[in-house]
Amino acid sequence: MKTLKGMFANFKRYSFLMKQLISRDFKVKYKRSVLGVLWSILQPILMMTVMAIVFSQMFKFKVDGTNYLVYLMTGIIMFNYFSEASNMAMSSVVTNFTLINKVYIPKYIFPISKCLFVGINFLLTLIPWFGIIILSYFGLGEYTCHINIWYLVLPYVFICLFMFTLGIGLITACISVFLRDMFYIYGIILTIWNYLTPVFYSIEILPANLQTIFKFNPLYIYLTGVRTIVLSGECPELLQILSMFLYGFITLIIGLFVFKKKQDKFIYYV
Amino acid sequence: MINIENVSMKFNLGIEAGSLKETFIALFDKKRRINKEKNEFWALKNISFNVEKGEVVGIIGSNGAGKSTLLKVISGVMKPTSGKVEVAGVISPMIELGAGFDPELTARENIYLNGAVLGYSKDFIDKKFNEIVEFSELKDFLEVPVKNFSSGMTAKLAFSIATIVNPEILIVDEILSVGDIKFQEKSKNKMMSMINGGTTVLFVSHSLESIKELCTKVVWIEHGEIIEIGNSEEICDKYLKYQLNN
Repeated sequence: MKTLKGMFANFKRYSFLMKQLISRDFKVKYKRSVLGVLWSILQPILMMTVMAIVFSQMFKFKVDGTNYLVYLMTGIIMFNYFSEASNMAMSSVVTNFTLINKVYIPKYIFPISKCLFVGINFLLTLIPWFGIIILSYFGLGEYTCHINIWYLVLPYVFICLFMFTLGIGLITACISVFLRDMFYIYGIILTIWNYLTPVFYSIEILPANLQTIFKFNPLYIYLTGVRTIVLSGECPELLQILSMFLYGFITLIIGLFVFKKKQDKFIYYV
Repeated sequence: MINIENVSMKFNLGIEAGSLKETFIALFDKKRRINKEKNEFWALKNISFNVEKGEVVGIIGSNGAGKSTLLKVISGVMKPTSGKVEVAGVISPMIELGAGFDPELTARENIYLNGAVLGYSKDFIDKKFNEIVEFSELKDFLEVPVKNFSSGMTAKLAFSIATIVNPEILIVDEILSVGDIKFQEKSKNKMMSMINGGTTVLFVSHSLESIKELCTKVVWIEHGEIIEIGNSEEICDKYLKYQLNN
């Protein structure tokens, strides 16, 4: 408890540094490009178009009773957030070693700033995503996605996803310091995880016993939560709402705990 | 102000070589395990000394004697393997200049980034911005990415950012030799005015001239152990003799 309190106090003290690190990431990312920050929105639009054509036109994927395009995009942007943020958080400690070696900075700043940076990008991708939902009123896809009151629950789901991602990011960052092989291993884990998560297919095409296992995947729960709201216009069940929080919170606590315990040793390994 | 008690620091030199194969072999092979213990290296052994407020302490010793490690332990970057370090006051570390620079960003952006790394607030940097720019003599290059700077220019900028605060404790590792002669003079004057203002300084340098000139006390370290602590003239002369005879 005391360490957590200390962490929050530090957090406040170093919030300016965090802002600077995030804005650095933005500046470096778009500095040399002509269109600059516009790419944050343009890139997901183009990616969505490609994915939409590949899955709904070439492979003829379908999920019964729903607007497949919105179904697919929801899965893609949420899974992409998770994979990109946790991946960047993982390498953030190692890449910032020159700093860590010279000045005292609480090291958890790096994974958090990466998760937030990708988070801001994620919020920008919500714009074209929302665009597709609006276009569904005008006949894009077979079904119309009605904008409803439960959209107010969306930020809650995103915050839970953020906690979960950060937790995983802290754990992988910690491991990668001691075991550089983690960079490669985690890449493979993410690929497998991508296929095990119903991003472009529906869980209902699987055998019943597999379905039960798949439902323990936290990402499945986050994806399904958002899809329930957006596609069916219903509120997720109470159990789902609860497990979203628990998965996120517990992962984050474990991540913070592991990170806190090991961070003083980082400096000998980088 | 700074209280260092029995500080020891162990490094594992073999740490990087720990490939899967070697780790596996070491599990079964006792000889290798002993070898691994030989790889242990004590960078600091039982270091104890005190620094009072307002003192300017020089730290001298051969390359690899443990000077920089000692500074890192004091500034909190590393935790000692055993022993205790107590520091009362705000430390401004100038261990390596420009560590917080991002080469892609402009000088202006880097002033904010590096300031944040050193723990300054936004208001503080806003207020001191002109002073930093003026001291660094880089007014015309504010919008240029730092990667296009010469090493001298980078060092000047970094020095100007690091010394803009009036810290209670200043840690300086071989940085007074940055820039051209004019800037060296300027930075030395800046240091002097900080010292006169009551800042406690820990100063690592190979230039015995500046140690003698600035320091009130000198700590001489060799192989991680304190050889002698005392008056700067006296210790510097002994150190010089030791260096020449070896």
